[in-house]
Amino acid sequence: MHGSETQLASTVIFGLNPMWYAAILFILTYVVIMTERINRAIVSLLAAGLMIFGGVLNQEAAVRGVDFNTIGLLIGMMVIVAITRQSGVFQYVAIWSAKKVNASPWGILAMLSVVTAVVSALLDNVTTVLLIVPVALLITEELKVKAYPYLFSMIVFSNIGGTATLIGDPPNIMIGSAVGLTFNDFVVNLAPVVAVVIAATLVPVYVIWGRNLKAAAEDRQRVMDFNEREAITDPALLKKCLAVIGVVVLSFVFARSLGLEAATIGLFGAAALLLLQCWPHNADEQSKLVTHAFTEAEWITIFFFVGLFIVVHGLDSTGALKLLADHLLALTGGDLTATAMTILWSSAVLSAFVDNIPFVATMIPLIKAMAPTFGGPEGLMPLWWALSLGACLGGNGTLIGASANLVVAGFAERAGQPIRFVPFLLMAFPMMLMSVAICTVYLYWRYL
Amino acid sequence: MFMHDSTVASAAVIFGLNPMWYAAILFILTYVVIMTERINRAIVALLAAGLMIFGGVLNQEAAIRGVDFNTIGLLIGMMVIVAITRQSGVFQYLAIWSAKKVDASPWGILAMLSVVTAVLSALLDNVTTVLLIVPIALLITEELKVSAYPYLFSMIVFSNIGGTATLIGDPPNIMIGSALGLTFNDFVLNTAPVIMIVLLATLIPIYLIWGRHLKAAAEDRQRVMDFNEREAITDASLLKKCLAVIAAVIMGFVFAHALGLEAATVALFGAAALLLLQCWPHGADDQSKHVTEAFTEVEWITIFFFVGLFIVVHGLDSTGLLKLLADHLLALTGGDLTATAMTILWSSAVLSAFVDNIPFVATMIPLIKAMAPTFGGPEGLMPLWWALSLGACLGGNGTLIGASANLVVAGFAERAGQPIRFVPFLLMAFPMMLMSIAISTVYLYWRYL
Amino acid sequence: MTAKTLMNPNPMTLSPSDTVAIAADRILQHHLRHLPVVDAQGHYLGTFSVYSLLKLTLPKAVLDKHGLDNVSFVTEHVAHLAQRFGGRRDEPVTNWLNIHEVAHPETPAMEIMLLMLHGRTTSVPVVNKENGRLEGIVSFWDVLEKVRGENA
Repeated sequence: MHGSETQLASTVIFGLNPMWYAAILFILTYVVIMTERINRAIVSLLAAGLMIFGGVLNQEAAVRGVDFNTIGLLIGMMVIVAITRQSGVFQYVAIWSAKKVNASPWGILAMLSVVTAVVSALLDNVTTVLLIVPVALLITEELKVKAYPYLFSMIVFSNIGGTATLIGDPPNIMIGSAVGLTFNDFVVNLAPVVAVVIAATLVPVYVIWGRNLKAAAEDRQRVMDFNEREAITDPALLKKCLAVIGVVVLSFVFARSLGLEAATIGLFGAAALLLLQCWPHNADEQSKLVTHAFTEAEWITIFFFVGLFIVVHGLDSTGALKLLADHLLALTGGDLTATAMTILWSSAVLSAFVDNIPFVATMIPLIKAMAPTFGGPEGLMPLWWALSLGACLGGNGTLIGASANLVVAGFAERAGQPIRFVPFLLMAFPMMLMSVAICTVYLYWRYL
Repeated sequence: MFMHDSTVASAAVIFGLNPMWYAAILFILTYVVIMTERINRAIVALLAAGLMIFGGVLNQEAAIRGVDFNTIGLLIGMMVIVAITRQSGVFQYLAIWSAKKVDASPWGILAMLSVVTAVLSALLDNVTTVLLIVPIALLITEELKVSAYPYLFSMIVFSNIGGTATLIGDPPNIMIGSALGLTFNDFVLNTAPVIMIVLLATLIPIYLIWGRHLKAAAEDRQRVMDFNEREAITDASLLKKCLAVIAAVIMGFVFAHALGLEAATVALFGAAALLLLQCWPHGADDQSKHVTEAFTEVEWITIFFFVGLFIVVHGLDSTGLLKLLADHLLALTGGDLTATAMTILWSSAVLSAFVDNIPFVATMIPLIKAMAPTFGGPEGLMPLWWALSLGACLGGNGTLIGASANLVVAGFAERAGQPIRFVPFLLMAFPMMLMSIAISTVYLYWRYL
Repeated sequence: MTAKTLMNPNPMTLSPSDTVAIAADRILQHHLRHLPVVDAQGHYLGTFSVYSLLKLTLPKAVLDKHGLDNVSFVTEHVAHLAQRFGGRRDEPVTNWLNIHEVAHPETPAMEIMLLMLHGRTTSVPVVNKENGRLEGIVSFWDVLEKVRGENA
């Protein structure tokens, strides 16, 4: 697979060994990404260009390094979500759930936490909090209770919920796509432990805040007076969205027997929903709707991925990751349990401080290179689940652990109830460690 | 090239249909729906690509291999660079400066803006060019109290002519260049000379029909002369960065072959470098706003239209149908290079006058490639590629619906209360288009055949 | 014609320490739409306008840049709105400023009219480019009178 690239690599510039050139460029890229001084899409695209200019890859090899299944699935889901959110259905669910518990402050906190986790499992985490946090702010303002516990919980539960499915969090999309795992594989293997983590995390949230929350009967009545049906802005669009999402999720479930891959389903679903949305309109209106939907896709994330895939592929093609994998295996003595635990805990702690996407992008080829030691690709499965659980749940460790955390912090800041780094860390880091401890038991019990 | 693995997938096509028939019917339906323009073209292309995969003609892997990511990357890169550069006001500066150079005489301005439009179109895409130049033309004609019609008409015609001259001027050239591995220089050496002649020749009827009658009062001309073009530069430091990056990108294109680089790498790296220069001193929020805005300005409808179309055409190609069609065409022209080149030139010109040239060119590329054995390998096909490029790009001038830039200018004209109607435009523009194709015929014959 | 010739050089202003209540009184009393806020050195800080007053009566969840854009499900009475306004009347005006696009004394008239049109505002603050001080305000009425005067 890497034959042509290794040949090319001998012509790397400055007379440098291609492995050194690629490794230095890779490390520099990650350092610059971590400093967050330059937008990450710019950094990764420039680095990808330098991999090509340096002669480690040619453009053809670089394009082959890009996982278009991940890119297509991300774009498809982003478009579907961009259209669906306009229907107001997520606000409906949030308000409905708040009224189901008679607008009691702790009930709402628990309900919104669960709703956040479930919605995160189906949408990306940033979109989820963008949709749910405004409702939470409105309700807490009406109830005259502090918004802090609510915002804190949205962060924590959005990261937990995203771990449960193939499409919930980018690391899962990348792992699923690279290893050929289906939607069902994730649900069957990760959803059970995520359900346990959700229940367990609600305990400290109750003990710290939930039991102390009080609201006046009159203020609770104001929330009970909300008419959630009014939140649905476009019932016709809503029906189309739910139909398409239903078909897309079913297709994910049956993808393997249909012989389909995730990007085909995601993009076809997006195109079908655009068709349903556009159909009766004229050309100008259609082009406005389609442009809007594509504009809502997070292009910074998409191009960050494209660049990153090329950089990691460049490094991989020099054989550096294979060497690193061998070293790691030497450290764990080639023991599957030790390797899985190392991956789980190190990815959790690292993801708490740095972006988990570049980390996972690097770990994927590295873990793949371990296949011979563990008896082929099948034997690697526990390692993939360890990587997914560690990278996704680790995002809860600090306020900078995931993009959704920063989005919620932005809301909190603007609403005058800022979430600070250290107080968040003191609460969230122990909760994150608890969730990873649960995963340790689960992995050990089920796979090792 | 990718035929083998795709054909394996084809065996499993649904409904027991022969994969060739399934692909051909889907292909024709797709093109019919695109032509009716009842559904946005990006939607049609993506759905059709999905159906190619569902039908079993291609699997996702083969479909992705069918997408020409060099074209996609080059388009996105150039769109980002242009989106940032246009904010600097440099194109308005150029238009005003050129109007003042001819002492604001109405015919002088018409000729100058036509040439400026052609030159900019050669470097930017045509729609962007007219979006930048038409507002200036409207402002100047309002100040001069002359009819805007001749100006808007010329912007349409010269944007399509200018775009033909370079690799990056018009999507058909990008597709042809990318599929064949042609460089920026190949286009400049082969299409630019004939474009110069077409440009000059087209100015003659414009002078005869409108130019010689245009008059403006000295006082109104003075108002234009009083424009301060320096004020059009809204951000001088951004401008310097843009010009530096554009110069580096063009140098990159010119020396791409020697450097072993491809167009998409050069353009995307240039885009990232320009974003870096624009963002560098700003905070994270500002940076992300700038980057998001630049990517938002990309014409995603066009990009996804391309992605879907590449997959649909690749699906059809993988069934061997295009090879069959090529053989039939060659039987018609008796395998004669001159006859084949002329057929391609004229048929693509006339077709492009009425339908979108992008799907046409996407189909013609594998079809012409399949003719290689008859004409002694890929080298022998070169005249056919130039015929396709000239026909498809210049053909857009034939009618008001021949190219997207035409419709954009027509929209401006409509809103400014001087509408450009289909038939009057056709009566003027179609003959001019035929003249340009006649010039191309002579050029191709003289130079290559 | 430039901003310098069009502007009112002595507009009514607010100081950063003025409260929302003072600003509201002044807006209602003089039927003004926009009050520029300047510090002791005369630096322009922003504008307190009728839109600031609207914002004061709305929950923060709808004012946020990513906030709710559809709140038809909330059934509120005037009393609730008044209650919210009452809770904020002693805040300083600087909490509720609109940052408008500003003109400079040299800005041409056409540019100012475009700022009004695109910004959906009827007045544009004129700020010195070098020191950031407020030099005056161009209101829509000033422009209209000048334009009509030329034709009268």
